[in-house]
Amino acid sequence: MSGARPGDVSGDGTSGGGAPATYPSTSEERRGVRMRIAHLTGWLRRLDWLSRCGLFCLLVLVLAALGSMVNLGGDPAEIAGGRLQPPGPDHWLGTDNLGRSLLPRLLEGIGVTLLLSSIAVLVTAVLSTALGIVAGYLGGMVNNLVMRVVELLYAFPSIVLAILVAAVVGPGRPAAMAAIVLVTIPLMTRLVRTASTSVAQRDYVTSAVVSGVRLPRILIRHVLPNVAGTIAVQGTYALSVGILVEGGLSFLGFGVQPPQASLGVLIQEGGVYMVAAPWLIITPGVVLILAILSINVVGDGLRDRLEPRETRSLR
Amino acid sequence: MRHTNRTGLSIACGVTAAVLITAGCSGGDTSTDDTSTPAESEPGYLAVADSSLPAGGELDVQTHIDASVATGLDPQLADLAAAWQLMSLVYETLVTVGPEFEIEPALAESWDMPDDTTYVFHLRDDVQFSNGRAMTADDVVGSLERQLELGSVWTGQLGPVESVTAVDEHTVEVALAEPYTPFLAALANVPASILPMREIEDGTLNPETEMLGTGPFVVADHRQDVSWRFERNDDYWKQDEPGVDAVNVQIVPQEAARIAALQDGSASLVTLGNVDSPALLQGASDVSVLTQANTDFYYLMLNSQWEESPFTDPRVRQAVNMAIDRAQIADVALAGLGHPTGVTPAGLPGACEPGDLPSGMADLDAARELLAEAGAENLTFELAIFSTDPAPAVAQVIQQSLEEIGVTVEIEQLEETSWNGKVYGEAPGRFDAALSWFAGYADPGMVTKWWNPDAAGFNLGFMESDAELTGLIDTVNSVPQGPERDAAITDLCAAVEDDAQMVPLVTRPSMVGYRADAVSVSLHADEGYGNPLRLLSEARMVRAE
Repeated sequence: MSGARPGDVSGDGTSGGGAPATYPSTSEERRGVRMRIAHLTGWLRRLDWLSRCGLFCLLVLVLAALGSMVNLGGDPAEIAGGRLQPPGPDHWLGTDNLGRSLLPRLLEGIGVTLLLSSIAVLVTAVLSTALGIVAGYLGGMVNNLVMRVVELLYAFPSIVLAILVAAVVGPGRPAAMAAIVLVTIPLMTRLVRTASTSVAQRDYVTSAVVSGVRLPRILIRHVLPNVAGTIAVQGTYALSVGILVEGGLSFLGFGVQPPQASLGVLIQEGGVYMVAAPWLIITPGVVLILAILSINVVGDGLRDRLEPRETRSLR
Repeated sequence: MRHTNRTGLSIACGVTAAVLITAGCSGGDTSTDDTSTPAESEPGYLAVADSSLPAGGELDVQTHIDASVATGLDPQLADLAAAWQLMSLVYETLVTVGPEFEIEPALAESWDMPDDTTYVFHLRDDVQFSNGRAMTADDVVGSLERQLELGSVWTGQLGPVESVTAVDEHTVEVALAEPYTPFLAALANVPASILPMREIEDGTLNPETEMLGTGPFVVADHRQDVSWRFERNDDYWKQDEPGVDAVNVQIVPQEAARIAALQDGSASLVTLGNVDSPALLQGASDVSVLTQANTDFYYLMLNSQWEESPFTDPRVRQAVNMAIDRAQIADVALAGLGHPTGVTPAGLPGACEPGDLPSGMADLDAARELLAEAGAENLTFELAIFSTDPAPAVAQVIQQSLEEIGVTVEIEQLEETSWNGKVYGEAPGRFDAALSWFAGYADPGMVTKWWNPDAAGFNLGFMESDAELTGLIDTVNSVPQGPERDAAITDLCAAVEDDAQMVPLVTRPSMVGYRADAVSVSLHADEGYGNPLRLLSEARMVRAE
């Protein structure tokens, strides 16, 4: 952590990173957009091939989820055929124990799982960032208070915490989301705080303080952009944890409610029929593994890009 | 009556829940697994234990739920079928139920009916409690009087008992205020068990914490929600029973874990809830799965008492009743093992024909009209279910069939304790609709008594009594078997659907899996009291040690 250059991340006006935010608003909008796309593609090219594969898989999953919104493959709740039929021309992925086609249910499941986890992780990111930056920058009592509470949460095994939340809130999507947030907050807050602590000691922060810049502005303009990399990387990991927690909760019956499908629900339902109808667990299982793997790989790629100090020193 | 209701609250889950709780347990009509047919079975039996095998050995059993903590170990308070099955290993009743729902002798070796309100029971003279004391007429009189005073869920089932008197040491006379057709069938269930009244009265036995009965087994160890160990009662009155030295019961809520235990041999007999378990275990060597066709049935509660419920309007209830496709529930959710039923359980002698009822006609236009009249065209309601198989599947089929008349069902799936709290926890119950099952018993009149909430008590939070319905229930239960009763039953089935506060759906099959290389078991093809362990004392170990 020590001896790193400040302002490694673009977007910080004081470090002159040339971020989009610093363009004068009077310049041509189109040119700006084009430059942003060029910036993005260039950035993508700098990701390793593995991360690009992960990103591609994620894109496919997102498209599949969007497909479920227009009922691609049929109505997921409709009893469309015989029970437990193997994959065939009528039902590409077979049917479940109620004669529902697995394909639309799988698409719905991908959508529900991704959406639920993403929203939960966004909430986590916002909360963790706020808590982490404040604790890291201010230190002292605030730091102690925030970190002890977070550590308390950290002490619980994630699935136990999740079940506790579901028991209090009642099963369903809000409970699953709340559970994911509670489970992912501790790790993210700790890392953001650590990053903020080191940023808080940088010269440009000191200069800002000496120049009389007010606290909120310091936190938002100077600290936040420099911990953004950490947040992005941790966000991807939190997303995979979120998917796992959702899967676990639904597997235990505390997650989404029937007949809605999620990857966890499908695996739970399919698990019973592992021997008699293996397609019911294999397909959602593979998709779940793929989703988590992709997100982790993308997370690794992001870390290599955004937090190069750590990874390079490891290589 | 008020007394009944008060006690009823905690017991609420009573029979109802009793019922729901075994939702994963017993077995059913014909086995779909060819390998599971053990030799040639007798009519009315799915399997008959091989009595030529030597007695002895220990039987490992797994079931999905323990007896309720709330009511303790007192069989007269037991309101869950899960409790009945375990307590039936220790406690016995005057009479019992045979393979085709006929009433058979048990602790009473015979009985007479000098007139239609008097029953004279002749007790066996060779019965001892497991502490060695002989059972007498005083125990029988005391036990029945205790049950009548308790005001438990079962008190109402015993009917209009006026007096219970000991004629001599082995004869008991019960006088009823009026004829009551299901009386013997009501005596055949665990809550009517004969308790050691002398020990209870002198305080040496607390039936809530200890079990002391005349049955084939005694309790050696019990850890709530974990396990039971039952050891043989050496003084048991039936010759050559029990066939095993001990029964170890483990409480294993996860169906998959019970299936795995059966496959790897760590359990020799398990109760199963998944309707596909015969197919799932097909090919597992030496494993047999038998399906019992029960008189138990699923029903829908449509809350008429909570002001926020859409079902305060009877037309909305009737529309929902008409639109639910029972045949689809039976075929899809229960894999063809259940049958559509009216309020008298389909399959029970004397039950009404469900096809003639409004629910059997499936007239969706009439249902839509009723909804339109009630101004509830775009109805959305919440259906509370418990997560034990196959209730979620039943609920999802209901959801699909109601979509046909434009009704949206939002399923709320809870584990059983939370479900119980939601449905029976307060009055009025704060829910729109809920799904559960009732045990169907051995007489078509018995389960209909739950449609009179003033007598049943546990369902006062979501339904109110209807004078016409109550009158029909009383008629059905007081008229002797015959054409007059059949006509009353037909009227009652129609009245229940008209009232539609509790709507009967389909019968509930259940399964028992066992290892044919480890144990030889007896099992009735039909069961009415949620008790797959009814004939457990006949079981013999194939490899007795």
